[in-house]
Amino acid sequence: MRMLNFTAVLLALSSAFLLYGLNYDTRLIEAKLHAREREAERARADIAVLRAERAHLARPERIEPLAREMGLEPLSARHLLPGTWSDITTSSTAK
Amino acid sequence: MGAHPVLMQKSNLSDQTLIARSVPVVPRSRSRILALMVLVAFALVGGQLVRLAMEAEATSGLRVSMMSASPATTLARPDIVDRNGRLFATDVQLPSLYADPLLIQDPDEAAETLVRLFPHHDVRELRRNLAEDGRRFVWVKRGLSPRMAQTVHNLGLPGVSFVDEVRRTYPSGRLGGHVIGRVDIDNRGTAGIERYIDETGASEEAIGARLSARAPVRLSLDMGVMHAVDDELASAMKRYGASGAVGLVMDVNTGEIVASVSRPGVDPAIVEEGLDPKRIDKVLAGTYELGSIMKLVTIAMALEDGKTLDTMVDTTAPLTVGRHTIADLHPLGRPMTVAEVFVHSSNVGSGQLALAAGAERQKAFLEKLGLWTPVGTEAAPPPLPQRPAVVGQAEQITMAFGHGLAVTPLQFASAAAGLLNGGKRITPTFLRRDPADGEPEAAPRLVSEHTSRMLRDLMRRNVTDPGGTGRRADVPGYNVGGKTGTAEMAVAGGYRKKSVIASFLGAFPAEAPRYLTLVMLFEPEGQKVTGGEITAGRNAAPTTARIIERIAPLLGVATAGL
Repeated sequence: MRMLNFTAVLLALSSAFLLYGLNYDTRLIEAKLHAREREAERARADIAVLRAERAHLARPERIEPLAREMGLEPLSARHLLPGTWSDITTSSTAK
Repeated sequence: MGAHPVLMQKSNLSDQTLIARSVPVVPRSRSRILALMVLVAFALVGGQLVRLAMEAEATSGLRVSMMSASPATTLARPDIVDRNGRLFATDVQLPSLYADPLLIQDPDEAAETLVRLFPHHDVRELRRNLAEDGRRFVWVKRGLSPRMAQTVHNLGLPGVSFVDEVRRTYPSGRLGGHVIGRVDIDNRGTAGIERYIDETGASEEAIGARLSARAPVRLSLDMGVMHAVDDELASAMKRYGASGAVGLVMDVNTGEIVASVSRPGVDPAIVEEGLDPKRIDKVLAGTYELGSIMKLVTIAMALEDGKTLDTMVDTTAPLTVGRHTIADLHPLGRPMTVAEVFVHSSNVGSGQLALAAGAERQKAFLEKLGLWTPVGTEAAPPPLPQRPAVVGQAEQITMAFGHGLAVTPLQFASAAAGLLNGGKRITPTFLRRDPADGEPEAAPRLVSEHTSRMLRDLMRRNVTDPGGTGRRADVPGYNVGGKTGTAEMAVAGGYRKKSVIASFLGAFPAEAPRYLTLVMLFEPEGQKVTGGEITAGRNAAPTTARIIERIAPLLGVATAGL
């Protein structure tokens, strides 16, 4: 009986210590997690800005004059050879 | 036996003690109590574990709420992209500048320093706000550029600080501005698709300055096509001296609006432009008498009622109803066939066809086509068509050639799409339809397939016929069909001569149209290139040709016969 008591007390004590340690670790991990989350949040914010900037730079209004300066022009029927159309439409991004 | 339960227990107890006494080992009851205590101890430990876990959660939540110092809650909005995923609108995090008046030592100096950086601010108002007693929060400027934020930071003013906020940006500028709409200072949608997003609950309260992680709203618009239309309209306005223009491209089978341009446009980021009545969205919010393009509807009704393309119509003399006389621009002086009424755009012929159908039938047909009641989209509440209160003979005739009934260009385009796609009614939409969803469920029929085929044929004939009004809309390689319309502009108290809306309704490829175009030029002037004329055949038709030549390859429409 005393043996049982002793082990029970021991068990209670050790689990208390274990719990304390676990709790401490958890807080540490949590802090790390928050740091990571903040990092991810910052990265997401940066990505959003970069995406917006990229879209702004790639807006058709700006690309068109640049493309024309390079000698490009809108595709028209006279650029196409008979029978080539289906090849283009099935392989390109159209739709 | 009927013994009292309490007495029974008592007797049981005494039995137990008897047994306990008789057995000299550890009493079982005591070991049970011990086990119970151990159990309680473990339960306490477990409880503590749960409590700690919950407490930790609560504190982390507290941290978040402390981070968002701003009293106003802003909305985190999903991106708006075009049908191919190109960005129309997105949220970014930007610092906003606020002040705590309690910490500001010299409100006068602070206000003057800040106004030097933000010249649009009223220095007196800012000074008053900064000096106000008991106030702890004053917005100075929301949504600063990072560089501006650094400049303010370098001033080292006490009492002013930054908080990150979610702000909407529109990388494509004016392109699509009308459809996209706009948001207010708290990132809440107040017009267009932005408003629709809030109404459908796709946006969410922004905690801190967190960006929305929701899937983007995918529109049916195609940015490339939008730009091509916009660009061609801009040069057409210059070429023909027009004060405004509309360009609409719609998928006739699905009702998806691929391009919707109204010039002058609006930049969603500039609130004043969105509120300027000169810049209203003519496609969705303006109602106009569309003129002769409405004859498509009249002819469709006649064909549905059993007339054929060869049925003769009396167009020998002008029509007179009451004090009104309706004549043709270029009278042939002989009876015309139904086909000729369309191709020569005869007002008299259309009027005769409407009179033959009767007022009730004409009204019912307009109702069926959605030209009598408002037709809306996600982007805007629909305005009520301006229609005659009583449909008498005069109204019948004028409506037959597109006067006396004012509808939105979108509304007309939707009706025309239904007439040309084989007769199925479509619902116009700004949202991309997923092809995987399959065909839209059996839509009500507007006209028979046969009628639809004849209408396509007429549209094409109007372009290929040497005398057709739409011949300048032809594009080699794409079989364009179309109808011109030149409507005198209604102003208060009547019509202004020489002030017209020139429109062209186009469809390509004409034999089985996939896309419909509607081009409108407002108040074009006679120019050298048009031979001094202001009719749609000289300005709106060639503009349509340029647009179709540019957008057909983008839309994947094959060339024919080349």
